[in-house]
Amino acid sequence: MLTKNDIEIATRAADHFTRLYYATYDSATRVDDLPKLYRPSSALVWNGKPFQGSDGVRKLLSGMPITKHDVQSFDCHPIPGSQPPSLMVIVSGTVVHGKGPTGNPPNTPVKSIDGQPRVFSQTFMLVPDPNAPPTTTGEVAKYYVSADAMRFVG
Amino acid sequence: MLSSPSPAPSGRSIAASALRRAGLMERDRDERMRDVSDKPGGRKGTQKSRSRAHPHRPRAIDAVTGKDLPGASNASRASMLANRLATGESIAIRGASKGTLGRLRRNAVSGGPSTDIATESRVIGLWREFVNKRWNSSAKFLNLERIAEDEYVRRNALIPAGSSGSLHKEFSVIFKLASKLTPEVETVSLAHNNIISGSTIIGLPRYLPKLANLSLEGNKLRMWKDLDYISGRRGKLEHLRELVLVGNPLRELEYGNHQPDRYKGEIARRFPSLEILDSEAIAKIAFDVPQASTSTAAPAQPAATTFPCEMGSSFLTGVDGGIISNFFMRFFPLFDTQRSALVDVYHSEATFSFSANTTIPARARIEGYHTSKEMPNQRKLEWSHWLIGIHGGSRNLNRMGGGVEKMTKTLHVGSEEIVKTISALPSTRHDVAGAPEKFCVDAFPVTHGDSMHLFVTVHGQFIEEPVHGIRSFDRSFMLAPAPEGSRAKQNGWDVMILSDQLVVRAYSSHEAWKPGPMRVQAGDPLVPVASPAQLPPANAQAQGQLQEALSSIPEPQRSLVMQICQRTGLNVAFAVQCLEGNGWDLERAIANFEQVKGTLARDAFL
Repeated sequence: MLTKNDIEIATRAADHFTRLYYATYDSATRVDDLPKLYRPSSALVWNGKPFQGSDGVRKLLSGMPITKHDVQSFDCHPIPGSQPPSLMVIVSGTVVHGKGPTGNPPNTPVKSIDGQPRVFSQTFMLVPDPNAPPTTTGEVAKYYVSADAMRFVG
Repeated sequence: MLSSPSPAPSGRSIAASALRRAGLMERDRDERMRDVSDKPGGRKGTQKSRSRAHPHRPRAIDAVTGKDLPGASNASRASMLANRLATGESIAIRGASKGTLGRLRRNAVSGGPSTDIATESRVIGLWREFVNKRWNSSAKFLNLERIAEDEYVRRNALIPAGSSGSLHKEFSVIFKLASKLTPEVETVSLAHNNIISGSTIIGLPRYLPKLANLSLEGNKLRMWKDLDYISGRRGKLEHLRELVLVGNPLRELEYGNHQPDRYKGEIARRFPSLEILDSEAIAKIAFDVPQASTSTAAPAQPAATTFPCEMGSSFLTGVDGGIISNFFMRFFPLFDTQRSALVDVYHSEATFSFSANTTIPARARIEGYHTSKEMPNQRKLEWSHWLIGIHGGSRNLNRMGGGVEKMTKTLHVGSEEIVKTISALPSTRHDVAGAPEKFCVDAFPVTHGDSMHLFVTVHGQFIEEPVHGIRSFDRSFMLAPAPEGSRAKQNGWDVMILSDQLVVRAYSSHEAWKPGPMRVQAGDPLVPVASPAQLPPANAQAQGQLQEALSSIPEPQRSLVMQICQRTGLNVAFAVQCLEGNGWDLERAIANFEQVKGTLARDAFL
């Protein structure tokens, strides 16, 4: 069974992860840095299109307009069955691509939704990497993204 | 399951040595503890025996202040200053009404205009001298312990006589002076300063935002909110690595109630960067943090102005689409009409939670989905039904003000508790049968421990009753095949739920996931984008991945999996799934593969 401590550590990990993930995604160095959170075996699906592993992430991001994510809610469950447990994290927020509304042509109608922030929903499965030895004090394990499903939903 | 790293002797000694290095712990802690216990109430005890130096706490300051200075001259100097300060209207910090630095402006340290600059700069000068005396530049350590007892501070009456209350202004001045020190201050000890509220040291994160080590030992902090004045969010002490709170009521009460984990959790949550608390390592899960060095080396590429691919339709792979659609066609109607019946489909240790994202989305607002006359019921929807509730309410960890208790209470574990919780949620109607385009599903298998699970996300909308307004939702499940004889299987479910996370949000149209090209900016042409072809991995890499994946499978199964991979070209995950679905019978699995291979997606294969 899950202990309070499991839940607490999992929650903190999810908090840390979501900050790190979207800050990296929105950075100028995302193509080099975001793939580090994945492994070759990771599976991701971006708006229904599959990509494989760190290389897939790199390929996806190298063709992505610049982004600005805003996390509005997230939740996390430890999934029993492995030790330490895998984590499932669901995130809801908005993302602006390119220059946002200010980047629209001057003749854009006021009622146009183009360029406006999109709502996104992203779910991650985070699993411990058995091959990565702890590097800092108190580190339970090093986790990576083993599965990732992202959709624009609004 | 996740246990805190046990305070193993080695770990403790590392922590202790780090602390010593950082100057947060005395050389011989035990000796000191005994010493303090000799004088209960430490601070007052030492005040009475003022003439006695503190043999257990040798301080540079003692040598400087010395006891040989004529007391009379000290007294006269002190009183002279006190008198001047009492009348010195202009010596002030904003917001202060009394105290030595009663009305010294906040910018006074940097020498702002003043009607009595001389007195003001004199006080600042005295504090500067104090800070310099207490500064160990080679250790980057500023020792601010027991300020009120300091000979120099007393001699110069830097703290008003009889002042038992907050030294808020004094601390602000000290921290501002500390921010000017070089090299940058890494470690601060504020131990034994009778600090009763976090607001007293609110200047700490303001002036020393990059502080790495902090001791607040032996103060009187009592409430979690005291820490919120300095805790590591929104630019406050975001780099704090080590913290000592030993001897504060907020710690000792939790330990007294045998809730050290709660205490550690509350602290760790407030200081995400913290590694060591009270000389013990904090258990945490790490990620590969991008290194700054590589960041600078990255070549500047012009960012794309179009999306790398189009919006795709529902994506299902490695799983029979029928299983997913059967599941949802049964799950949602039961969720709408008879939630108690769902007790069968949740695993006995399944987890469920829901969270509310109450933000009104920009595109939906422009479209008028929340305010238009055509959708009058939208205004009647209330978030309170989701945010609070008898079972704990929304578990939006982004807004988890309630701390560890709420975090635990809102995660529902076990089928019985889950059903109780979902039964108390507002009534819903999911029209999964009538309007399939309003729902979107992505599902694929993932390995978890020794078994394959299904990772499923669904996005859609429901009508909330009784007000009949529309909300959008995202829901992610971890599913596992229901084993023969399981409660789920006996009740006709092919899969069972291990995890179920629901996000309820303000309504957005399902147009968001309409397949096809998408615009970045207004006016962009909607040209079809070919999906980037998934290049088959290089052969050596594929072999490496195969070996890696196989290594996690126990021996009797491993050779079967290998044979399936070789004969079918399936990857390990799908080979395992294929064998599991056929009772680990090699020939049945191969025959099954031949039947369905035309329907398998590219990524089912090596």
